[in-house]
Formats: sequence, C-alpha cells, structure tokens
Amino acid sequence: MDTATEGEPIRVMVVDDHPMWRDAVERDLQDAGFVVVGVAATGTEALARFPAARPQVVVLDLQIPPPSGVEVTREVLTQDPSARVLILSASGEQADVLDAVKAGATGYLVKSASREELIRAVRRVAQGDTVFTPGLAGLVLGEFRRLSDGPAHPDPDAPELTERETEVLKMVAKGLSYKQIADRLVLSHRTVQNHVQNTLRKLQMHNRVQLTRYAIEHGLDADEDDDG
Amino acid sequence: MAVEDRLLRALAVLRWVVLVNAVGLNLWRHDNFVHPWAGIVVVLVLVAWTAYATWAYRDAARRTTWLLAADLAIAVGAILVSPVVKGEQLRATIPGFWVMGALLAWAVHYRWRGGLFAGACLAAADLAIRDQITQSNYGNVFLLLVGGPIVGYMCETLQLMGVERDRAERAAAAAEERTRLARAVHDGVLQVLALMQRRGAEAGGDLAELGRMAGEQESALRSLIRQQDSVPAEAGEEGEVDLAAELERLEAARPPVVSVATPGTPVLLPAVVVREVVAVVSACLDNVARHVGLEAPAWVLLEQISDEVVVTVRDEGLGIPEGRLDAAAAEGRLGVRDSILGRVAELGGRAELVTGGDGTEWELTFPLDPARPAAGAR
Repeated sequence: MDTATEGEPIRVMVVDDHPMWRDAVERDLQDAGFVVVGVAATGTEALARFPAARPQVVVLDLQIPPPSGVEVTREVLTQDPSARVLILSASGEQADVLDAVKAGATGYLVKSASREELIRAVRRVAQGDTVFTPGLAGLVLGEFRRLSDGPAHPDPDAPELTERETEVLKMVAKGLSYKQIADRLVLSHRTVQNHVQNTLRKLQMHNRVQLTRYAIEHGLDADEDDDG
Repeated sequence: MAVEDRLLRALAVLRWVVLVNAVGLNLWRHDNFVHPWAGIVVVLVLVAWTAYATWAYRDAARRTTWLLAADLAIAVGAILVSPVVKGEQLRATIPGFWVMGALLAWAVHYRWRGGLFAGACLAAADLAIRDQITQSNYGNVFLLLVGGPIVGYMCETLQLMGVERDRAERAAAAAEERTRLARAVHDGVLQVLALMQRRGAEAGGDLAELGRMAGEQESALRSLIRQQDSVPAEAGEEGEVDLAAELERLEAARPPVVSVATPGTPVLLPAVVVREVVAVVSACLDNVARHVGLEAPAWVLLEQISDEVVVTVRDEGLGIPEGRLDAAAAEGRLGVRDSILGRVAELGGRAELVTGGDGTEWELTFPLDPARPAAGAR
C-alpha cells in the first residue's frame, strides 16, 4: 500500500500563490517523506517548471494567477498523462472544482483538511486512486443529472452512470468512507474505488469530446484543407 | 461630449461638400452676377470661413457663443447680400445649401432650440430677399425649420444614450472589480484561517481553541462566498430561494460538524418551502447533536432528481432504537413526529428513516412543484 516506504519516494510539485501555504505544504510533504521537486506561484511558472520537474503528483491551488488552475490541470495532463493532479483549494468555488475534475484532476481537498488528510490524499492520488470529498461527490452527481435530464438541450452523447455507480457516488456524498461503502454493498474496497474512478473518467471523456467537437465546429482544428 | 465631437467632425466634412457644391454652382452661373467681383469676394469669404470653421469647431474650448453667432451671421449675411450681388431677379442665393453648416452646428451645439432658432433666422433671411415666394422657396424654408430642431433633438437623444451607456459601463466595471477584489480578499482570508486552524490543532492547548474558532469562521465565510456566487447568477422567479445555498448555511452553524453536498447549481423553490425544508433538516441535525454528540459529524446531501428534491441527513451514531419514536409519541413527546414528519407531510413530501448500529439516515423527498405531491406522499 505505502509507496513512500516501498521504494522511490513520491515526487510532488506544489503550486500555490500564497508563500505561507506553499511553504507549509512543502514542509509537511517533506516531513512525510515525499520529494518536492518543484514549487510555483503562478500558472505560468507551474507550466514552465513542470517538464523539468516531472512530478508524479501536482498539488494545485485553483485560485492562482493565470493561467488558472483548471488550465494548468489540462495542460499538465496533456504533457504527461501519467501525472496526477490533486486540487487543494481554499474557497472551493463549485464551478471551478467541477471544471478541474473534468480537466482530469483526480483528487480534491479543501485547505481546512488536516495535515494527515493531505498526506494520505497525496499518497492515494499518486497510487491512482481518486480522492473525493462528499461535496465533490455531490457536484459530480449533480453534473451527471444535469447532463441526462437537462430539458434545455438534451445531449445524445451525454454519459450516464450505472445504477451501481450512482449508488456508490451517493454514499460518498453522504460521507461514507470507501470501506463503509464496501461493507454495505458487500463489495471489495478495490471495486468501490473503481466505481468512483469510472464516474470521473466518464466525465473527463465527455469533456474531451465536447472540447474536440467545439474545436471542429469553430474551425480550430487547423488542418491542411483549412482555406482561412 | 463624445457625441457632439463626433457629430461636429462629420459636419466639417459636410461643410466642404456643400462648399464645393456652392462654388461649383456659382462658377457655372457666373453670368448671372451683376457685380462679378463682389461675387468672387463673397465666395472667397465662404471658402475662408469654411476653413476657419473646420479648425475652430474641432476643439470644444473654441466652440464659444461668438463662434456660433459668427457662423450663423455669415450664413445669414451671405443670403442677404445675394440680391445685391446677383441682381434683384435672383433665383438662387450665393451660398445655397452651404448655410446648412451653420444650421447643423447650432442644432448639434444648442440642441433642438438652437436648430429651431438658426432655422428661423435663415428662413427669415431667405424670405426677406424674395419678391415672390415660389413653391421651392417655401420647400426650402420648411426644411430649414423642420430639419434644425429634428437634428437638435436627435443629437440630444444620442448624447443622453451615450451618458447612460457610460454610466452602465462604469457600473458594470465597478461591480466586476468589486467582485474580483472581494474574491482576492476572501481567498486570502480563507487561506489564513485554514492555516490557523491547521497549525492550532497541531499546537494544542489554547491555540487549539483558537484554531477551532478560525475553522468555524473559515467554513462560515466559504458558505457565504458560495451563496454570493450562486444568487446573482440565476436569480429565480419572484419569491424563489436557492435551497442549496440555504442548506450550505448549516455548515457554518455548529454543532454538530456538518458537511453539506449540493448539486452545484441553484435548486430554486418557493421561500416558504425552503424555510420549512431547512427547518426539517435543522431538526434532524439537532437530534444528532442531542443524541450522538456535539462534536459528532453529520452529512447533508441535496439532490435534484427530475421533479423531486431529495435531502439526506446522515450521522454515525448508534441509531434510533426500534419503537423509540412510537414510545416517545405515546409519552406525549411529539418532537420528532412534529418537527420532522409533520412538516414533511405538510410539504407534500415523504420521509424515510434508516437506522441501525452504524448510524441514522433520514431521506426526505419533496416535490419540486409543491402543487404536485411527491409519489407516495402520506
């Protein structure tokens, strides 16, 4: 389970425009045995330093000078799909959080979380798990419901959750831990995690399809038959 | 004054167009002149004045009453000298349409009254030199008298619209800036409060208490910010309130330690219904604080599923023993019955209670449209 003690320490990058917080998070991570391979205060710095630093996990504040946390998430994961993004946000503005998740972030934590929670979250995100707060689960549930029964513009390609996935996500939103969910549904811990991961993956895929479609519709795909 | 500047700049171009027209017509009809030299002088005055007016009107500081008076005086004068220079039997004045430069300048600068005044002066001058008034003379006079005030009125309207637009733009920019500043300030405060909470908890003792208070303030501020974000974005119909924002308020009020999950978009319901739903949820949370503990965690989940709203309240206490609610009711204590079940029924909703060793879960379902009760309502 614990990768940090099993071999190579986990490489982390911390992006936050508040020096106070950046230092605190950096120190906490180092004390816990992580290697902080880079820090950045703005989106520009983060993107400039990311390729050389090659972190496994980017701990990212959403409210940073541009480009925004959402854009940084998207760009970082395009450059290195194996990297993981953990959002650590103070204000938790819901639209931003949802956008970051759609852009590929797999973890979300509010800054009021304790040091232990942060360290556990970084470790789990590095292993490929998703770290959900009940609040984020509620947002994701809401997003799927909007996609499926939004009367304004029904989208035929809208992703849908299976009954099981909805059930699991609902339990996360009600504050149950993965273990409690596994016990209740008589599933393995791993299966519960897979269900949660699938919900995010569907949302991210849908987002990517939409972005591509938007690009094509607006002639942004810039290929050779473009006469403009 | 942007409107006036623009209109006068356009008028400067028009002045040259009508000047070319006037000069051309006078050259063509040069044999009509009784005193050709005097005619040349008059035309040269028109050219000179056009050049001077083009320069003078460009700067607002130079647009004095004297300039406008001189402008109109020259136009009137050019009309009045026409019969002397061209002979009594003239058909067209020397300036001709050139006089519209002065007319429009008055209209632009003094609005409809100025337009009317200049139009009247020019019309009077034009009529004064005629022996007999032909239909086309009458037409010109009519146009002068009508055109001046209309252009003046339009200029005034444009100016008012410009002022209003400027005001709206300034207000929008100020509001945007306020929001941006508020966000930056809030974010900074949240960061500090969160850090205090974290460090306080680690330090223990008095600092832990301080940290706990910082944490309370942090969640209070955060839920305020969320409400602020969601309210103006989608203002509901009259009397509708966002249930999501109201439930998030509960996060700040302790005990117990509540975590609220919402769909991320406003869930709009009539204010009365929202108040009742919040009261029911608060009653559930009071039960948690009373029976599980002041520091016990509780979770509230709000979902909107097609035309129903589902609110779930969960705790991790020991559960409500079988028959206790009935026993309490039998003893005459109607707490839960009244405050939860009664209210839910009144809203046309239904309540389900799941309770056991690993906690208690109230699932409250309400119709989005209170006129249509939720399926299976009792």
